[in-house]
Amino acid sequence: MGPRTMQDFPCLFSSISSLQMGSPSARKSSTARSSVTSSTTKSATGRQTILPFVPVSKSQAVALPLSPARKNTNANPLLDTKALNYSPVNPNSSLKQTSLLSRLKSVKAHSSSSVPKVATKENKPTSSSQPSADLTSSTGPRRTLKRSNSAFSSLDIVGKDWLQNAPTKRSCKVINKTHYDRFIPNRDGMNLASSQFNLSNDSKSPYLDRASQEYKERVAQACGIVPGQRILAFKAKPPTSDKEDLRKYFNPMMKTSTSSSSQRRILTAPEKILDAPGMLDDFYLNLLDWSSLNVIAIALHKSIYLWNADTGDIKPLNYESNTNTIASLSWSSDGSYLAVGTSDGDTQVWDVETNTKLRSMTGHESRVGVLSWDKHIVSSGARDGSIWHHDVRVAQHKIAELHGHTDEVCGLEWRSDGMLLASGGNDNLVNIWDARNTKPKFTKASHNAAVKAMAWCPWNLNLLATGGGTSDKHVHFWNTTTTARLHSIYTGSQVSSIVWSTQYKELVTSHGLPNNHLSVWEYPTLKKVIDVPAHDSRILHTAISPDGQVIASAAADENLKFWRVFENIDKGKISKKEEVSKLVSGGKKQGQARRSMSIR
Amino acid sequence: MEGSTITLDGSIGLVVEFFNYSVNSILFQRAVYPPEDFTVKKKYGLNILVTINDELQLYMKQVCSQLEAWLTPGKISKLVLVIKDKDTAEVVERWQFDIHVHDKSDQAGAMTMTTTKSPEEIYKEIQAIMRQITASVTFLPILEDKCTFNILVYADEDVQVPTTWEDSDPNLIAGGGEHVKLRSFDTSMHKIDALVAYRVMDDA
Repeated sequence: MGPRTMQDFPCLFSSISSLQMGSPSARKSSTARSSVTSSTTKSATGRQTILPFVPVSKSQAVALPLSPARKNTNANPLLDTKALNYSPVNPNSSLKQTSLLSRLKSVKAHSSSSVPKVATKENKPTSSSQPSADLTSSTGPRRTLKRSNSAFSSLDIVGKDWLQNAPTKRSCKVINKTHYDRFIPNRDGMNLASSQFNLSNDSKSPYLDRASQEYKERVAQACGIVPGQRILAFKAKPPTSDKEDLRKYFNPMMKTSTSSSSQRRILTAPEKILDAPGMLDDFYLNLLDWSSLNVIAIALHKSIYLWNADTGDIKPLNYESNTNTIASLSWSSDGSYLAVGTSDGDTQVWDVETNTKLRSMTGHESRVGVLSWDKHIVSSGARDGSIWHHDVRVAQHKIAELHGHTDEVCGLEWRSDGMLLASGGNDNLVNIWDARNTKPKFTKASHNAAVKAMAWCPWNLNLLATGGGTSDKHVHFWNTTTTARLHSIYTGSQVSSIVWSTQYKELVTSHGLPNNHLSVWEYPTLKKVIDVPAHDSRILHTAISPDGQVIASAAADENLKFWRVFENIDKGKISKKEEVSKLVSGGKKQGQARRSMSIR
Repeated sequence: MEGSTITLDGSIGLVVEFFNYSVNSILFQRAVYPPEDFTVKKKYGLNILVTINDELQLYMKQVCSQLEAWLTPGKISKLVLVIKDKDTAEVVERWQFDIHVHDKSDQAGAMTMTTTKSPEEIYKEIQAIMRQITASVTFLPILEDKCTFNILVYADEDVQVPTTWEDSDPNLIAGGGEHVKLRSFDTSMHKIDALVAYRVMDDA
C-alpha cells in the first residue's frame, strides 16, 4: 500500500468543511450532509421541545442528559460501536433503531475481527467526524438517508413515535442526539463504526479507497506495473558473437532486375568529371582503384594522386621516380594501405595516412601490371606471366610463385573470402588458383584475346565473370566450383573491365572501340539495361564506390568520370554509406553541367 | 512411486531448465546469434539448438542460478526475454513466461508431496511449447537489423537483489504490438504460461 494521501479520505474533509471534491465518495458524503441538515429541520418542526440543539459549542458530554444507556456512551462517546450496542436495550423498536441494528450487523459482518481493534484505538475527535463513506455499501444508512430526505415521510414516522410512547421515545431520541456538535449536528446518518474501521484498517480499506485504489490500479496497469512487484533486469550485457554471420552471404534481398529496370532511370550524363592528364593508354595496366574509405587512387604517368570523394581533397603520393612509371595500384581492404606496382618490377606498400612508403618488395624481372590484396597478402602479376604472393608482414615477403601464364598477367582478383584467386593473361587464358596451391585449380581457354576484365560476384561466391580483349569481345560467366561455363554474352566491343553491383543483380562492363561505352547488364537474364556512351576513347579502368552506387571510369581521353549507375532508389533507407558517397561540391546537382577540374 | 513423483526442488529445476532451453531456442530461431554458435542437443524428445558460445553459456548460467535462488522461496512471478534492436534499443519482441505457484501455503510440506503428474506428462507439455517456439518463426516478422536481448524478472517487492541485477522498466513494445499466447505446462508445483509479443510494422 502506498502512503495515504488526502484523497484517500475525501469524506473526512468534505464533511467538515463541505468542500466539493471530485471523487464520488465526496459527492455522496455531501448528500449525506444534506440529509443531516434536513433531519435537523425535521426534528425542529416535530419536537421543538426536546431538541437540545442549543449547546452547540459544547462537547457531546454536555449535551447528554438522562437515561442509563447514555452512560455507556459517556464512557466512550465517540465510539459508535458502543453507542449502537445500547440500542437493543431500548425496548422500543423504532425504525431508526432497527436500521441501526441492521447497520451494526453489516458492520460486524464486514469486520468481525476489527471491532475490538476499533475499541482499543484512541478516539480522536477527527475520527468521530468520519462519516458517510460507507453509505455506498451498507443498505442501512442508505435507508435512513432516504427517509430523512423526504420531509413528509419523516414527519410521519416521528409522529408515530410520538403517539405510541412518547416519554421513552423521547429519551431514546435524546440518546440518539447525543453526538451533536457544532459541525455535525446529527450523527445518526453516519456509520461511525464502519468509518472507524475503514480508517484504522488501512491495509484492507474495502470501501473508502475504492475509487482512488481503482485509479491507482489503472495507472499501474497502464504503465505495465503490477503493484507490489519489482521488475529486475540482468545487468550484464549479453555477449556478442564474434563469429561472422554467414547468412549475409546468403542471397541478400536485391531488387529484382525486371522491376528495377522499369523503375530505375540511369543517368547517361556523368555526375562529375575530373581531368586526368598523363594517363597512360596501355590496356595491360591497372591504374585506378577506389578504397573502402572513399578515396580514389589514380596513377598518372610517374605520379599517384589520391582524390578524397568525401572532401574533394587531392593529395599527391610522395612517389618520386624519374625512370619508372606506375603499372598498377590496389587498395588494401581497410583502405589504409596502397600497393603500387612499378614498371621495373617493384611492388611497394604505402601508408597513405603518413604518405610514406612502408616497404619495397622487389624480385619481379618485369613490370607489375596488376595487384590484388587478400588480407595481408599482396599478389602481383608480372609481364613475364608469373604471379607472386607477397606477405607484407615478413621480411621474406615472397611466399608463393604461381606459373600458369606464358604472357603478361593483366587480370588478377582474389575472391572475397580469400579461398580462390582468378587470373587472366595476354595468353588468352583464365586460371583459377586455390589459395593453398601453386598449381591452377583449372584453366579456361575460351577467350580469344587478353583477359583483363574479371570480377567475382558479390552475392554468389562461385560465380566469376571474365571479359576478353579486342578480338574476343565476349564476357563469360563461370561456376568455379563445377568449373562449368554458365553464360556468355557477345558485347560487340573490347571488354576492359567488369564491375558487379552490390545493390542490384546487375553488372557493368566497360568497353573500347567503337563506342567507348559502359554497358549495364542484368544478371541471370543477361538483358542489357542500358548503354552509356562514356568517353571519347577506350575506357581503360573502372572502379566502384564503397557504397556500390557510383562507377568511376578512366579512359585514354584523360578524363576520370563518375557515373551514378546503381543509384539506391530506396529513399526511405538512406544508409550512412550513401551519405559518404555523396561526391563533393553538390555532386549530383552539378553533375549535369560539365565541370572540369584538373586533378593536377 | 519412485520416479513418478516430483518435488519442489525438482519442479524448480524443471522450470529453470525449461527457461534455459527456451531462451537458447529463441536466440537461435530469431537469429540473435549466428547459427554457427549453436549445436543440436536432444532434449524433451526434440532436437533443440543450444549455444556453444562460451560467453553466452556463462551468461545463461549466471541467470539460471539466480532464478533458482529466487524460485525456491517463490519470489518471482514472471520471466521475460526481451529482444531489442542493437542500434536503436527498440524492443521488437517480448517472450514472457508467467510463473504461477500452486498452494503457496503448504509449499513447505510440498518437498515430499507426491503429485499425480508423471515427469513424462510434464515433458510432453514442455515439448509442445518448444515446438511452438520453433513454429513461431513462421508468423513472427523477420528481424532485419542486428538484435540483442535482455532478461527481465518480475519479483516480489521484498526480494533480495544481487548486485548483478537492477531495477528496470518493463520494456514493453511500443504501441502494444501483437500478442500470441503459447501453450503452458504444469509441474503441479508451478504452472508456466508462455506468451510472445512482437512489434507490428505498419504497412501503411
